[in-house]
Amino acid sequence: MTMGTAAVHVRGLWKRFGQQVAVAGVDLDLPAGKFIGLVGPNGAGKTTTLSMVTGLLRPDQGSVEVAGHDVWRDPVAVKARIGVLPEGLRLFERLSGRELLGYSGRLRGLPGDEVDKRATQLLDVLDLAGAQHRLVVDYSTGMRKKIGLAAALLHNPEVLFLDEPFEGVDPVSAQTIRGVLERYTGSGATVVFSSHVMELVESLCDWVAVMAAGRIRATGTLAEVRGDAPSLQAAFLELVGAGTRDTASDLDWLGGGR
Amino acid sequence: MTAAGTAPSVTSVLVRLKLSLLRNGLRQSGGRRAAYVTSLVVVLLFAALQTLGLVALRGHAHVESVIVLLVAVLALGWAVMPLFFPSGDETLDATRLVMLPLRPGPLVRALLAASLVGIGPLFTLCLLLGSVVALAHGAAAAVTGVLGVALALLVCVALARAVAAANVRLLSSRRGRDLAVLSGLVIAVGAQVVNFGAQRLGVSGLAQLTPVGDVLRWVPPGSAIAAVDAVSRGAYGTAAAQLALSCAALAGLLALWARHLTRLMTSPDGSTLNAAGPPDRERAAGGRGAGGLAGLLPAGRTGTVMERSLRYVWRDPKTKAAWATSLAIGLIVPVFNAVQGTGTIYFACFAAGMLGVQMYNQFGQDTSAFWMVAATISDGRDAYVELRGRALALLVITLPYAVVVTVLTTALLGAWTRLPEVLGLSLALLGAMLATGAWTSARFPYSIPQEGYKNVAPGQAGLAWISIFGGMVAAALLCSPVIAVTIWLNVSAGGDRHLWLLLPLGAAYGAGVGWAGLRLAAPRTANRLPEILTAVSKG
Repeated sequence: MTMGTAAVHVRGLWKRFGQQVAVAGVDLDLPAGKFIGLVGPNGAGKTTTLSMVTGLLRPDQGSVEVAGHDVWRDPVAVKARIGVLPEGLRLFERLSGRELLGYSGRLRGLPGDEVDKRATQLLDVLDLAGAQHRLVVDYSTGMRKKIGLAAALLHNPEVLFLDEPFEGVDPVSAQTIRGVLERYTGSGATVVFSSHVMELVESLCDWVAVMAAGRIRATGTLAEVRGDAPSLQAAFLELVGAGTRDTASDLDWLGGGR
Repeated sequence: MTAAGTAPSVTSVLVRLKLSLLRNGLRQSGGRRAAYVTSLVVVLLFAALQTLGLVALRGHAHVESVIVLLVAVLALGWAVMPLFFPSGDETLDATRLVMLPLRPGPLVRALLAASLVGIGPLFTLCLLLGSVVALAHGAAAAVTGVLGVALALLVCVALARAVAAANVRLLSSRRGRDLAVLSGLVIAVGAQVVNFGAQRLGVSGLAQLTPVGDVLRWVPPGSAIAAVDAVSRGAYGTAAAQLALSCAALAGLLALWARHLTRLMTSPDGSTLNAAGPPDRERAAGGRGAGGLAGLLPAGRTGTVMERSLRYVWRDPKTKAAWATSLAIGLIVPVFNAVQGTGTIYFACFAAGMLGVQMYNQFGQDTSAFWMVAATISDGRDAYVELRGRALALLVITLPYAVVVTVLTTALLGAWTRLPEVLGLSLALLGAMLATGAWTSARFPYSIPQEGYKNVAPGQAGLAWISIFGGMVAAALLCSPVIAVTIWLNVSAGGDRHLWLLLPLGAAYGAGVGWAGLRLAAPRTANRLPEILTAVSKG
């Protein structure tokens, strides 16, 4: 990868599901070597966008380049360079944690003993060594996210895409995941992750893209997006136009005895 | 719904829910809609033909025996259908209503009404109406007929529901899952009974049915239809007793269903209990067994894919049940027929055919975990190796099994000279099934829901049937050259001296067709990865 190349380069990305427009013309350039947060409320189109960027969902329109290669025209170059942790999709849950890593690494064409060595280290670092022989179907949410992350990191990708990696994860696991990701970006790799928890994004990311209703509302460094607002949360609410809606009069029957 | 206004009844809500689920399932894609409409047309045509046939039987001496037998088979179908067949009938999963404050009584009524919506009930209704037209003579009989049709239909639906509810409980416990696997035998034996009966009938005519009819006219739901005949003959007491029997059966089934439903909705499901205390010993043992296996498999993607597929045959309850059923039927049909002395040696091909079905909907068996496969397939070559690995895993079990079943059938029939030709046919069929299975896996993938016992997501049933049956017909057609040579060698003078040639011919043909099928399916798979992932992630 040459210096100055965007890790991800998206132009005119559209996706409709029937009548509903999930992604409405996204243009996005994500800088390489950064910890990038894709933030937005539920239903903003984050998952759809990430699915299309990683080649798991075919866009209706638009182009995506990852590390300088077109995702749909040059899948060989792209798939070897990216790691993915999707949200809402299963893993091969009838394999044990270790078997899952072995399977995933070998499918990617890594030599068997190298896969086993890396799997052992990843299981150790992610606190999964004790559960490595248990089937993934019996894992908790946090353990699933961690084993998914391990599978996504195993082939040492240039760009890592994580869809809601902290959703439903306990604080201890979250801290472990954070540590691994910070070490990984420290070595010059790119992490793109989606979230709707602003505090988390604020503390982790150095670059943010705000998404709402299928469009990108703002991009830039944390400071640029935050602007004059006191926190990213406040800036975000203003950007998506959900600042101060008065709900008091609508729900006058709620609470206050029966 | 406003708080002050009257709430609609649970029944109408659930019927509307079923209709919207059906509609939404169809709305998801044009292909699915086409598949559904096609299966609807086929079912209706079939029902119309059957009904016309029944009406034509009107006045025939043994018509009542035929009809009660038909109704009994229909009821049997309703009982086993939810267990084994991809069915869109389970649109409403009672376990999803757990959180709602519903009493079992109204819930059972509502679910029963909702189950009456669909292709299956419509088909049944057509046949029952045809039966009544064939039997009813006079106004009183016609009135009884209306009552009888309603009763019989309700018994059928309640039967399916009761069996389904009982089975959900079975499938949600680990021990139960193993038991449920055995229920594959039920259908195999049932098919044998039908087959055996049909052969007897072919030999000695409809009169043969009279003793069977004498029994079945007292077995609900047939008794409700038999009552129409009784009224036509003026035997009002008999009719009343037969109707009462059906009523009692309906009440019994509803009570049974309500009991299962209550228990289902008030107790934690087995999967939760399972997660709390995983039986580690069993898992460790399974891991070791498969670990030993890995040493025997080829390196690279091929071996990795084979290992995962074989592990899933053992560990994934859905896959395991499908395999157990295929293995059982593949063995029972040829061997039972051979033991009875009624079958031909060609039934031995059943083993290859049944096991070849496991190649169908390969990616649907992965569920949405297919993304892990999709993320590592970059070109047609990767897709080919992936599909070949899956086919090889299947062959590891299927090939020896088909050979053993063929040899066993041959031995039971004492027809050793025919072994080469039957084995050749089996291998050709197996290759053709692998080829069509790989192709339909890429072209017509559908999702297999992991919760409950359903095998197809709502709205995809038509797609599944078309994929499996279209594929099987195509496989038979692909085999036609080998079949033609077999026939030619058997009928031509002196041809039987060269029958042994069919073994190498069939083996080579099967291997060639299988290879070509994988080659053809691979680029399609590689080009359609996102579409396949979307299709197998539904439900």
